[in-house]
Amino acid sequence: MAYRILPAIGRRTLIKGGAALGALQVASPYIISARGEVPIKLGFIDPITGVLSALAASEVEGAKLAVANINASGGVLGRQLELLVEDSANDVGTGVQKARKLIDRDKVDGIFADVNSAIAYAIAGVTSEKGVFHIVPGGHTDPITGKDCKWNVFRICNTTTMDSAAISATLVKKFGKRWFFITPDYAYGQTLQEGFVKQLTAMGGTYEGDKLPINTVDFSATLIKAKAYKPDVLLNNMGGLAQINCMKQFTQFGMQKDMALGGALFELESITSVPPEAQTGWWTMEWWWNQPGVPHVAEFVAGIKKATNKPASARHWFGYVGVHSFKLAAEAAKSLEGIKMARALEGLVLPPEVALQPGKVFFRTGDHQLMPSIFTGEAHPPKGDPANVFTIAEAIAGETAGGTVAENGCKMTYPA
Amino acid sequence: MSTTTIETVLKAPTERRWLPAAIVWVVLLSAPLWLPLVGGYTALASHVLVMGLVAMALNFLLGFTGVMSFGHAAYFGLGVYGAGLTLRYISNSTLLALLFGILLGGLVGTVLGALIARRRGVYFAMVTIAFGQIFYYIAYSWNSFTGGYDGLRGFSRQPLHFGPLVIDIQNNGTLFYYFVLAVFAICIGLMAFLLASPFGRTLIAVRENQRRARFLGIAVDRHIWLSFSISCYFAAAAGALYALLNNFADPMSLHYSLSGEIVIMAVMGGMRSFWGPLVGAAVFVILQDYISSMTENWMSCIGLLFVLVVMFFPRGLLGVLQRRGSP
Repeated sequence: MAYRILPAIGRRTLIKGGAALGALQVASPYIISARGEVPIKLGFIDPITGVLSALAASEVEGAKLAVANINASGGVLGRQLELLVEDSANDVGTGVQKARKLIDRDKVDGIFADVNSAIAYAIAGVTSEKGVFHIVPGGHTDPITGKDCKWNVFRICNTTTMDSAAISATLVKKFGKRWFFITPDYAYGQTLQEGFVKQLTAMGGTYEGDKLPINTVDFSATLIKAKAYKPDVLLNNMGGLAQINCMKQFTQFGMQKDMALGGALFELESITSVPPEAQTGWWTMEWWWNQPGVPHVAEFVAGIKKATNKPASARHWFGYVGVHSFKLAAEAAKSLEGIKMARALEGLVLPPEVALQPGKVFFRTGDHQLMPSIFTGEAHPPKGDPANVFTIAEAIAGETAGGTVAENGCKMTYPA
Repeated sequence: MSTTTIETVLKAPTERRWLPAAIVWVVLLSAPLWLPLVGGYTALASHVLVMGLVAMALNFLLGFTGVMSFGHAAYFGLGVYGAGLTLRYISNSTLLALLFGILLGGLVGTVLGALIARRRGVYFAMVTIAFGQIFYYIAYSWNSFTGGYDGLRGFSRQPLHFGPLVIDIQNNGTLFYYFVLAVFAICIGLMAFLLASPFGRTLIAVRENQRRARFLGIAVDRHIWLSFSISCYFAAAAGALYALLNNFADPMSLHYSLSGEIVIMAVMGGMRSFWGPLVGAAVFVILQDYISSMTENWMSCIGLLFVLVVMFFPRGLLGVLQRRGSP
């Protein structure tokens, strides 16, 4: 006689169960539709899974905090905001599909996408085709607000040109002119390295480097090549988990004794994930939580801490500013129409409770690029507070580092 | 092949044979009318058709010839890039893009099929994966031409011009859906015609017993090669439609993980059934669309469903209905 470990589930039972579950799914929206005011839907696409997931999670958390604050204070144009988060899985095709889904199915009024420059860049094509207002919180590659700028696309984070220009002179001055790049081979890495090379060659420097897939895990071959080149400084341009893995292997090889580290982005999420020996080098930071005396920063940092139990990072700020920028645009335009919102956001100066940094922070009219301050400084092991891993040396005006609209190649055209 | 199966295939009552097809076509033709009522949208329906076509293309080989390919995404992806590159670099013609996409994937499949067709079993599957990955890495690395990891942008499907008649499939999603449905219908019609022909019957004989087929004088290798090639043309047609649907091409459309998904669609729907893979693709794409909004672990749900289907419905979702309806 055969023993039954699990109760026998017949085919009919399974089908009945599936049908009941399906019926529940269909039935539930009718209950939801009984609510009063229809909320404004915002689609947030980010790589919740994959090598950039930690950065994406912070952006989403920042956006959620902004939505909660805005809804608590009456919403936008009298309506509540609803944030629909989709995972682009760090894959460009998936990101494009998610954008189409949010626009076609969910009828969102705004899209926020993506940490991954390539995905942000591709989604900009979809949103402009559909005429949907689009904010890029954290995709840095130049053409998004450069040669391929679109009337409906605004960007919060810096361009790769801004970040590379802000730190290059410091790296040359402190370490020397012989550089080795480890760069991800996609939109972000390509334009970032291009920016660095332009700065370095203008200062008479030389370079070598490897371009690797975005999700590279093993850097040993490239690090051996870097060691042989004997650079003054190694620029680790990888992002997220790939950058962390590269740093770990860099210290395992003992290379910190032979060369300095530096580059554009070494974000709070990444610095706190590498060994103390790799918490070093000179970098740019696009926003920093420790800005004594700057109004509203402490409130924002406390809000993030309360909501997530994490220290506030630049990625939190990107998501937060992105959603607030949508609100500011809608209220200035008194409309949710993409063109009117885009016109309203051009040249708009962020109020201090959104800017959360010193100086004038505004969306440049010609290319829709946010112009904040860029902080350059040194990464180091924690000093007291576990998140105190970076010391700001200088704040550079974004417009100084970013060049003019004409230099970046943006020719903004609006639909007739 | 058992006697019962042969009878089912050759002597199925005519009143039952047209019924599934009629249901499928009524559902597909009326999709834009009822989809919004159930929370769907036409782009999703177009996506279902595209993935249904590639799953049926694979099933031409897997279900009706009995040979497993784990590299069909390569020919699908070549169709994607063929159409995308045509629109990007050669001509603003949607039909030309479709044609070039089909030719690129189909011709490459025909050439490689000649090398692959002699392999059997697991070796056949391994070689299909290996060839598929070659194209993935070419697309991934060739930044200047294919856009590399970032994908190929800067192209868009164009309206169709038939003399004075202009069909705006560029801006009208419903018209584009019917365009996809028309191409789907042509491909499916061809596929059904081939399967009903003596050639199709020969493929089924090869599937059932290759040794016996060889004893009967059938050129088994040549038939597998032909089946593989034809299957690649249909997969490439689906790929070209996919490029037109998204106005975008990226290397993941060539990746072996997509090949795995296509196999899941075919097996889940029922690989012994003509319409089974379309049902499998519909379930896969719709679940992906809805569940991926709720959890990043949506693939686990698909995996669970796949396990349940294999355990409880080994002939696939449509295979169950077919068995119930069979004499």
